Amino acid sequence: MKKIEAIIQPFKLEQVKEALKGIGIDGMTIADVRGHGRQKGHKEVYRGQEYEVDLLPKVKIEMVVADARCDEVVRTLVTSAQTGKIGDGKVFIFDVAEAIRIRNDERGESAL
Amino acid sequence: MNVASPRSNPLEELSARAADVDSRVRAGFSAHLAPVFPVGLAVLAVGGYGRRELFPHSDVDLLFLVDRAAPDRSSREALSAFIQSLWDSKLRVSHSLRAVPECCEIHERNIELNISLLDQRFLIGDSSLYRRLQEKLPGFLQSARPTLERALASMARARHAKFQNTVYHLEPDVKESPGGLRDVNMIEWFGDAPPAGAKDFLACVRSFLHTDAGRDANQLTFDLQEQLPSHDSPEALMRDYYRYARAVHSALLRRIDVVESAGSGLFAGFREWRSRLTNADFTVARERVLLKAPLQLRTDRDLAMRLFFFVARHGISPARDTEDRLRAAAPLPVPSPAWPVLSEFLRLPNVAPALRAMEDTGYLQVLFPEWKDMECLVVRDFYHRYTVDEHTLVTLRTLEELAASTDPDRRRFRDLLAETEQLHLLRFALLFHDSGKAARTGNHSVESVRIAAEVMNRIGAPEAEAKTVLFLIDRHLELSSVITSRDLEDPDTGAWIATRTETLENLKLLTLLTYADISAVHPEAMTPWRREQLWHAYRAGWREHTRALDEERIAEPTAFEGFPVRYSRTHTGEQMQRHRDLIERFRTLGVAVDLARHGALWTLTVVAPDRPGLFASLAGALAAAAMNIVKAEAFANAREEVLDTFVFADPTRTLELNVEEVDNLRRTVEQVVLGKVSVEKLLARRPRPRRPATSARVHPSVTIERDLSRTATLIEVVAEDRPGLLYDLTNVLARNGCNIEVVLIDTEAHKALDVFYVTAQSAKLPADLEAKVRAELLNVI
Repeated sequence: MKKIEAIIQPFKLEQVKEALKGIGIDGMTIADVRGHGRQKGHKEVYRGQEYEVDLLPKVKIEMVVADARCDEVVRTLVTSAQTGKIGDGKVFIFDVAEAIRIRNDERGESAL
Repeated sequence: MNVASPRSNPLEELSARAADVDSRVRAGFSAHLAPVFPVGLAVLAVGGYGRRELFPHSDVDLLFLVDRAAPDRSSREALSAFIQSLWDSKLRVSHSLRAVPECCEIHERNIELNISLLDQRFLIGDSSLYRRLQEKLPGFLQSARPTLERALASMARARHAKFQNTVYHLEPDVKESPGGLRDVNMIEWFGDAPPAGAKDFLACVRSFLHTDAGRDANQLTFDLQEQLPSHDSPEALMRDYYRYARAVHSALLRRIDVVESAGSGLFAGFREWRSRLTNADFTVARERVLLKAPLQLRTDRDLAMRLFFFVARHGISPARDTEDRLRAAAPLPVPSPAWPVLSEFLRLPNVAPALRAMEDTGYLQVLFPEWKDMECLVVRDFYHRYTVDEHTLVTLRTLEELAASTDPDRRRFRDLLAETEQLHLLRFALLFHDSGKAARTGNHSVESVRIAAEVMNRIGAPEAEAKTVLFLIDRHLELSSVITSRDLEDPDTGAWIATRTETLENLKLLTLLTYADISAVHPEAMTPWRREQLWHAYRAGWREHTRALDEERIAEPTAFEGFPVRYSRTHTGEQMQRHRDLIERFRTLGVAVDLARHGALWTLTVVAPDRPGLFASLAGALAAAAMNIVKAEAFANAREEVLDTFVFADPTRTLELNVEEVDNLRRTVEQVVLGKVSVEKLLARRPRPRRPATSARVHPSVTIERDLSRTATLIEVVAEDRPGLLYDLTNVLARNGCNIEVVLIDTEAHKALDVFYVTAQSAKLPADLEAKVRAELLNVI
C-alpha cells in the first residue's frame, strides 16, 4: 500500500476530486494548508504599508491506495492539478506498513 | 406547556431515579460500611443527585463525611468495596471524603466542593456527625456568600465564553450552553426562581438525550432534534428551546450583574469613569445604561431610539433593568421615513451591541417586521453553528472587533475597513444578507435581495444607496466561492472580480462583507488560510480596477468620453450625474466650480480646460486657504476638459462658521482656473504649518515604477501629511514638464499616500528626468 500526499492549488481541488472519482477513488482526506516551496513568499506593498506574504494558501490531499493503483492515481492527480505554472504543488509517495479498519479490525488492502 | 416528552413531569422522574439510587446506596452501606463504621461516617448526596435531579446517565456524586481526615487502612478498604459494589450495579459514582471543618471553609482551588455542598442531603450513616455539619454549614454559607457568589458568577462567565456567549447554537449543549440546565441550577443557587417552564423543558430534553445515547450526552444534535416525540417539527422544538434558553440566560446574567456590581472597589471604581457620559436621558453606572425617567418610555416616542443611539455611540449596553422596561413598554412605530435616522445610526462606531439590545427588547422586530422570520431560524448545514439572526448579529460584531483589532494578520482588512466610506450600507447589507433563508428556496440570495428591496423602499432609502446594498446582498457568496474555485493569480480572475464588483468601493465593501460573513459562521471559520485567500481575491480585483489606468478609456460618446475606465468604476451613478451637470455648466460658462459639504469634509469639484500646472494651482489655492486635502482625483476627457476633485478638511471651521467664506473660496478657485490670480501670491500669505512631533512622523519615501503601466511612469509618495503638501508635490511635477495623467491622493491619519501616473511629452519619463523629479520630491516632503 502507498500513501499519496499531494499539495495542490486550492482552485484545482474540485477538478482533482472529480478526476480521482472518475478512476474510482473516493476516499481521501483534505486540509487547507499554508506553506511555500520554490514559489517563495514575497513582500507586498499595499497603499504604502508593507505586508509579509510568506505562506501561500494550498490544499493538501492525502489518500492510501493499493500498490497496483498508485501509478494511475498519481498520474491522474498530476494531470488534473497541473497548470504548468510555478506553484502547482508537489506529490509525495510513502510506503504504508499496515491499514486497519477500526470498526471491525479488518487489515491490509481490504481495509482501505 | 409544550414539553419534549409525553411524560407528565420530568422532574418527578428524576426524583424517582434519585430515590432508587438512594436505596441502593443505603443497601451498599449496610453491606460494606456499617460493620466498619458504626459511627464516624455519614454518606451525603451532593450535586444534581443531592437536588434529587438525577438524569439517566449522570454521575452519582457522594460525599463521605468523616470525623477524621485520614481514615485507616481497613476503613479505606471498606470504602473501596462499597464504591466498587455501586459501580458493579452500573452506577457512575464520583466521591470525595471530607471532615466537617473542611466542609466549612473556602477552597479557593476547589470551589466546586463548596458549591456541591449547596445541594447536599443526608443518606445514611452517623446522624450525629451530620448534625454537626448542619449546625456549622448554614452559618459558613451565610458568611461566605459574597465569595461564593463571585465564584459562581466567574464560573458562569467562563463557561458562557466557551460557547461564545450565545444561546443560539444550532446544536446546543442543553446542560452547559448559555441558557442550559447549568444556568438553571445557578439561578437556584443564587436563591432565585428560574423562568417558568424552563427547567421542565430542559430536563425533558436532557433525559431524552441520555436515554437515546445510553450515556451522559447533552448535545441536541440535528438528528436528535428530529426524534424528540412531542414536537411536530425540529423547527418548533428549537423555537421552544431558544425561547426558554434566552429567558434562563437573561435571568442569570441579570443576577450576575448584581453580584459583579457589588465587586471589588477598585474594579467597580475603574468602570465608574464612564459615568461621566451621563446626560439628560441616561445614567451610566457600572458600564450599563440606565434610564433617568423610565416612565417617559410610554410618551416620548424617540426615547428608545435615543437610547440605542447612545449605545451605538459609546458601546455600553443597556442595564438589564433598562431592557426589562423597554420590553414592557410596547415599542412605538418608527417615524417615517426611517432611512435618514437609520443611516445616521448605522454610521456610529458600536452598532452591534445596540442592534442586539434592539433585538432582545423587540424593537428591531418593530422596525423591521421581516426580522421575525429570521429570529431563532435554524438552517442546517455543515458549517453554520448559529441561528440566522445570531449569525447576522455576529457579522456586525465581527466588523467592530476588526476595527479595534491589533492582530498583524488582520491589519490589512482593518485598513480596508478604515478606507470605506459607506460603512452604513455595508452594515445594512449584513443585516439582510441572509433574510431570504426563511423562504427555503435553495437560493437565499435572490430572496434576500427581494426582502431588502422591499424594506429599503418602505423606509425611504435613496435609490443609489439601495442599489449598493442590493448589489452586496446579491453577490455576498461570490468571493467565498472565488477563493476556493478560481486561480487568483490568473489575470482573468482579477478581471472577472472587477467586472462583477463594478466599482472599487463595491469591491472593498464586498470583501469586508465576506470577511464578516465567514467569520460569523463559527469562531474557527476564518482560518489564516481563508483570510489569505480572501485578501488575494481582493488584490486580484483591486489590481484590475486600478490597472492600466491610462490605457483603457471610456469610448461611449458621453461627457465622459476619454476618461479612464476607472472613472466609471470608482464613482456612483449619483456622483456621475453631478459631474455631468457640472460639465454642461462648464461648456456654457467656461469654468464650473462646485463646493459642497459632506459630513466633516468638503468636496471641491472643478471642470476646466486642461493646462499645465492646473492641478497644482488648485491644490495651492486650497492650501492657501488653510484647507487640508485628504483625497484628490483628476480626469481628462477627449475634449481636453479636466474634472478635478478635492476632498478636504477645514481644520479651523472657517467655511462652516462663515457662510460668505464658501463663496469667497469658490470665487478664488474660479479666478485661479482662469489665471486671474497667482497661486504663488496666495501662498505667500499662508501661515507655515507646524511639523508634528518627531516620534509621530511618517518615514517619507518616493517610489518610481516604470513597468506597472504601459504608457506612464508611476510615482508613489508616502509622506507626513500637511497643508500644502499636494501643492508642493504637483508643483515639482509641473515645473519639470510632467503631465499628470492620473492622480490618486489619499490620507490615512497623518500619513499621505499620493500616487501619480505621469508622462513627459506623451511618453514615460526618461531616466534622467526620473532621477531629478525623485530628488526634488524628496526635498519637499
